[in-house]
Amino acid sequence: MSAAITRRQALKGIVGLGGTVIGALATPAAADEHPAQPVAPPDAVSMLYDNTICTGCKACMTACNEANGLPPDTALSGGLWDTPLDLNSKTKNIIKLYQDPDGKDFAYVKRQCMHCLDPACATGCPFGALQKSQWGAVTWSSSLCIGCRYCEVACPFEVPKFEWDRWNPKIVKCEFCFDQRLKENQQPACTAVCPTGAVIFGKRVDLLAKAKERIAASPDKYFEKRVYGEHEAGGTQVLYLSKVAFEKIGLPKLGSTSLGHYATKVTSVVYKWFSGPLLLAGVLGVAIKRNWDRHEAERPKGEEPTDLLNL
Amino acid sequence: MSPRPASTYDTTGSTLINHWQRGVPVFREPLVTPTLLFFAALATIGLVVAMVRFFSPLGPFSGMNDVYAWGIWKTFNVMTLTALGSGPLAVGIAAWVFNREKLHAVMRTALVSGFLFYATGLIALCFDVGRPWNFWVIILPWRWNAESAMLEICICMPLYCAAFLAFENVPLIVERFYYTGAAATKAFLLLCAPTVRRIYPFVIIGAYVLPMMHQSSLGGLMLLAGDKVHPLWQTPFLPLLYLLAAGLCGVGFVTFLLLITSLRYSRALDLEILGELGNLLSYACFIFLAVRFGDLVWRGQLDRAFALDKWSVLFLIETTLILIPAVALRSRAARETPRTLLNMATLACLGGMFYRFIPTTIAFTPARNASYFPSLPEVLMTVGYISLGIVAFAIVVKFFAVLPGENEDWNYMFRLARGRRGAAEPEGETLWPASR
Repeated sequence: MSAAITRRQALKGIVGLGGTVIGALATPAAADEHPAQPVAPPDAVSMLYDNTICTGCKACMTACNEANGLPPDTALSGGLWDTPLDLNSKTKNIIKLYQDPDGKDFAYVKRQCMHCLDPACATGCPFGALQKSQWGAVTWSSSLCIGCRYCEVACPFEVPKFEWDRWNPKIVKCEFCFDQRLKENQQPACTAVCPTGAVIFGKRVDLLAKAKERIAASPDKYFEKRVYGEHEAGGTQVLYLSKVAFEKIGLPKLGSTSLGHYATKVTSVVYKWFSGPLLLAGVLGVAIKRNWDRHEAERPKGEEPTDLLNL
Repeated sequence: MSPRPASTYDTTGSTLINHWQRGVPVFREPLVTPTLLFFAALATIGLVVAMVRFFSPLGPFSGMNDVYAWGIWKTFNVMTLTALGSGPLAVGIAAWVFNREKLHAVMRTALVSGFLFYATGLIALCFDVGRPWNFWVIILPWRWNAESAMLEICICMPLYCAAFLAFENVPLIVERFYYTGAAATKAFLLLCAPTVRRIYPFVIIGAYVLPMMHQSSLGGLMLLAGDKVHPLWQTPFLPLLYLLAAGLCGVGFVTFLLLITSLRYSRALDLEILGELGNLLSYACFIFLAVRFGDLVWRGQLDRAFALDKWSVLFLIETTLILIPAVALRSRAARETPRTLLNMATLACLGGMFYRFIPTTIAFTPARNASYFPSLPEVLMTVGYISLGIVAFAIVVKFFAVLPGENEDWNYMFRLARGRRGAAEPEGETLWPASR
């Protein structure tokens, strides 16, 4: 038994180990998969919600529940009718009312998934259960989700909800009616049913232009004279116009950099072609080889052949 | 039978006796004690509750909600406690890469405790995920989302624990069964041993690369949470800081564990080795603090750190816990005073655990009104996993040569064992050759 390892063998081992790990781990990542400010593809679908038009009729909520087969959330109404307080595992879409403490100013807000251009949930999702599908809809696949709930931790809008009360829990979030309607060439249930046109459906480029037209037509009507979602968290496919501050209606103040960019800008370099770990393995390998040889040389000769004691 | 030397200090001169030469099982101490039964009971309760959880939804079981979607199973058992289980990484790198030869004697303690921290953390994860039956997808590489820190952890952590860390513990098992097994076992082990030895250096390369990857990825997890994590903790340096915290907790916990077990089993201390660990711990703390403060200065958040509000106080507590051992252990006298060393190692571990835990839960403050406090079943399960680790550790150190001791003790133990079996003791022969 000779435990001595030649330099060549050590090198071969390092390369071999690295190769195995590369083969196993390195999924070639496209260059700059997470730009700081992602650009929406031309076919990206969008929703524009304008709370100066919304009358709070909640037809969209009923239509959403119907299209998605969601049960009514009757916890607050003693089992009588659908009264969700916020987005939850039975509510993918909700109309909420904001009222100023002095009671003068009020505004409705429609909340649902923002369908980010670079969604944090999809960046974090280990097996791609949440992903950016066709037309930019962020969809969830039950066969790939392990229920780690990283999407809930990651989402800056806190949209994905987990069915805490079910043994076979799903992640519940607006999927732009992707399977139910988009694929059938229909617009989502909420925009289709909206009687006032407070929420409308279209291509993102068109709706963004339309929103800016509205601002240009009556600039005093709109808070900060800007469209929420144009740049927030790298841009979202759901756009908002509001008469009150966005924070007041629960839309968080966010930077214009996508979270995916922030979270992967360093690791995407370190893990590019698995080079960081390989380099590390090489450097450690050289040092370990040297010290291992020393350690072996110091072993007393002619002792127990199995002597693994000093490991 | 010659009396066993019981000295802990060399009273005749200033030279310290090298007490830790090799792993020696715990002997002449009963395995089953009231304390062990207490922990075994806690472990049983935890595991029974875990079984119930398997047939119950998560909601009624935990304090988790849609805002605080991660509870202590993830944030404490995995994200915090595997830092304490990073001894094999931290001490291993010191021993094998930086050639701190003395530390080889305490590697087994680090390896066994590290394995148990990882294994119990992974058990915790099994009961935490909502849809574990989909985990088989991990064998389909085209389903992997390579940019996800969660994926990296999903692959790397079980792989490290089940393959690399487990293999590092193989010599322990081979040795045990070589000395106590039947002739056939011995012959088989004789056949395996050279292979184990040949593979070993390559395994330890992987055993350092993998945890460096997933310990940093654990910090990387919180990057995506963005503004939800308070700016004192949310930084692009989170992965590096999590890794450095794992380093300091790893060294700190091995020191702590060695002192505690030596106390518990009345074993002699080796202050030379402990002093070396203390020295290492001090440096690990300083490196962590340097990066921590460098990051705060770079991001211009230093004023927040000393604003003396709730967050600043949390930060200062965490930092002080790490700063005290860093400074105190610069003194050789402190490093070689067991009591001080134990106190300092405890502080460093606490500080590192604070750092790892705070951004996941306490400084995780989404805008929405919600709060999280672990429910009773959550706490029972967390305590159960830790107790399981403690019970397993007590059993392993009893039956395997883990805790460091003297060659004399090893020989004495074997004479005891021989005597009990009624075999004649070979005249004048050292039964099992000393390795160092």
